[in-house]
Amino acid sequence: MTRPPSGEPGPQTGSPGGGHPGAGQPAASPASRASAASAVSSVSPVAEAELIARAQAGDVGAFERLSGAYADRLFMLLLRLLGDRAEAEDVAQEVMLRAWRAIGRFQARSSYFTWLYRIAVNEANRALEKRARRPASVPLGPEELRLPAPPDQDPARQAETRELRLALARALGDLPPPLRTAIVLRDIEGLSTREAAGIAGIGQAAFKSRLHQARLRVRAALGDQALVTSGG
Amino acid sequence: MARAREHRWSQRHLSHYVEGDLGALARYRLDRHARDCVDCGRGIRAMRALVYALGGLGGPAGVRAPDTVFDLVRSAGTGGSGPPPGP
Repeated sequence: MTRPPSGEPGPQTGSPGGGHPGAGQPAASPASRASAASAVSSVSPVAEAELIARAQAGDVGAFERLSGAYADRLFMLLLRLLGDRAEAEDVAQEVMLRAWRAIGRFQARSSYFTWLYRIAVNEANRALEKRARRPASVPLGPEELRLPAPPDQDPARQAETRELRLALARALGDLPPPLRTAIVLRDIEGLSTREAAGIAGIGQAAFKSRLHQARLRVRAALGDQALVTSGG
Repeated sequence: MARAREHRWSQRHLSHYVEGDLGALARYRLDRHARDCVDCGRGIRAMRALVYALGGLGGPAGVRAPDTVFDLVRSAGTGGSGPPPGP
């Protein structure tokens, strides 16, 4: 790959701890967003700082351990933003390469997670720009949206849940990338507004504006009745 | 006329309302309208359900990053084009 690195994301002030929701995290209510965003990776903060220092000194293994802690979550983010597994796999490699090349300039003004996620969002947007002439709709599939309903639901309820999630997938896929990014980071990933805005590279007010627009569009696409009936 | 204006305003701010982004006066304004407006009352419930449903999509869902995720890094790392010297 010969493209120049995208560089270190811009500074963030006071970004809270950089973890992410873990596997099996229960559905986050709006009130629990902040706690979901501050969940930690499998690497302790002290170990993470040491891995960063070693990676900055050129230790590839340290970089892989450092970034590998976030790799699954990051890949899921790319799947949701891109809606295409093969493309997400390519972009994930590119994200890691850019992070590796730029890690010497990482100054811990944001958490490593935030920094890595921002590179991922930038790369996803770059990939989306490349395919701008293709149809706008992104076919997010069951895997990207965790479509299987919880097994304890009765069949009718499972069918309703699946239908709702398919409709959500379609609506999210139809959103312009900036709006999709906002709703994925905030509502699906469960990041705080500050963290999500930092990752998106915009101010919190602008981020909120995108988020509200995105929600209104998705709500319009699904219809109030379907949402109210689903009960969430 | 005034009711139609309040309705349009309320519909535009349902996400703000659910998110807690409205100030006290704006929240009161929407509350007052929604008390008598079936559509907006349902809209609030729908917006809450939407945010809840979206939250339910979170988590890695057992999806794992491909084994190839560090392939480019490894190629770069062994090819002498690793990161610049540390800060």
